[in-house]
Amino acid sequence: MIPQPFDYSAPQTLAEALELLESGERKILAGGMSLIPLMKLRLATPEQVVDLGRLKDLNYIAENDGAVRIGAMATHHDIEMSPVVRGRCPLLADVASRIGDAQVRNRGTLGGSIAHADPAADYPAALVALEAKVRLVSARSDRTVEASAFFLDAFTTAIEPGEIVLELQVPIEDTSEGYAYEKFPHPASGFAVVGVAVRVRKDAGRISMARIGVTGMGPRAFRDRAAEKLVEEGVDPFHATLGIGEGEPVNSDIYASGDYRRHLARIHAARALKTALSRAL
Amino acid sequence: MPGCEMLERVADGEYKMKMKLTLASVCGLFDGKVRVAEPQPPDKFRLVVEGAGKIGFMKGDGLLSLSPDGAGVNVLYDGEVQVGGTIAAVGQRLIDATARMLIKRFFEKLTKHASTSTVAAP
Repeated sequence: MIPQPFDYSAPQTLAEALELLESGERKILAGGMSLIPLMKLRLATPEQVVDLGRLKDLNYIAENDGAVRIGAMATHHDIEMSPVVRGRCPLLADVASRIGDAQVRNRGTLGGSIAHADPAADYPAALVALEAKVRLVSARSDRTVEASAFFLDAFTTAIEPGEIVLELQVPIEDTSEGYAYEKFPHPASGFAVVGVAVRVRKDAGRISMARIGVTGMGPRAFRDRAAEKLVEEGVDPFHATLGIGEGEPVNSDIYASGDYRRHLARIHAARALKTALSRAL
Repeated sequence: MPGCEMLERVADGEYKMKMKLTLASVCGLFDGKVRVAEPQPPDKFRLVVEGAGKIGFMKGDGLLSLSPDGAGVNVLYDGEVQVGGTIAAVGQRLIDATARMLIKRFFEKLTKHASTSTVAAP
């Protein structure tokens, strides 16, 4: 099918884009990897589409003030290949490399992906595990939201009308940190039926820090703080992850039931932990 | 009801309705009806919501059981939502999450309404 007719604008500057978003119900187009298929199926029928593709200066990856800053229009491929990301927050590069397929990674953007907040997306697990921050701007505001407070529900984020994602701020990981992302991809779509992102830091033989981000399991990605605490107390990966996601709502569909997802989450969390621990110095 | 734009009584316990459901970029307009079935006041009743639109059709069937709980009422909901058409064909993995979200929205609205309006006891 072809999309329903719509009004298209392609602002040349960020200011122009933000002005446009001040009025009316405008749908933002970034990489189009989620929006265009929805429009072609006519599941989404926005009347006005604002294409951010001309905003080249929203595509950057820089490092300053102890954080890596990634512009919203950076593609998954840019992030995967960036020497800055690979050196400073390799977990993010790892996760980016596992998104969809090469075509999706070439066009899909960080900002678009996190704004869309698909429950089965990969980035959210990494973002909560990295304790990253999302900077949101509008014509009237400029604020930063913690990743855990950004993803609210399925396809629902803290973005207010008129706002766009400007950049992601990732605190620079210690080079001694170990990380891993284990995912069970849906065989057709590649979406995470369950995906677990882990960061750990060792200190004189014991684990001084553990962060576990889970996606695909529930309506939104979450940090399993209970499991993190168990790991920090020295409990082994298998036992620490037995209760993963307990207390969180679990998705279930034709492909995977809630119980199966819990089971997958346990296995992938334990695997990710083992790998992260072996990588930690 | 979340997104309800029109509700018109057509018979006892039966209403014509227009519902607009939005989830992210997906927006669906559903035409259909709402029926209050098997009423057993004040304990329980069944609520059946049916709607069809361009993106698909849906039917929700729930048994609501009410019981006194101190100064308030405890509502127990047991039901299911069936979805068909385009949205079910391509969005199957999201149906469960979406149904739960709609039910949650419905009860949030109901709670807000119930706590702000007063009705004389029969």
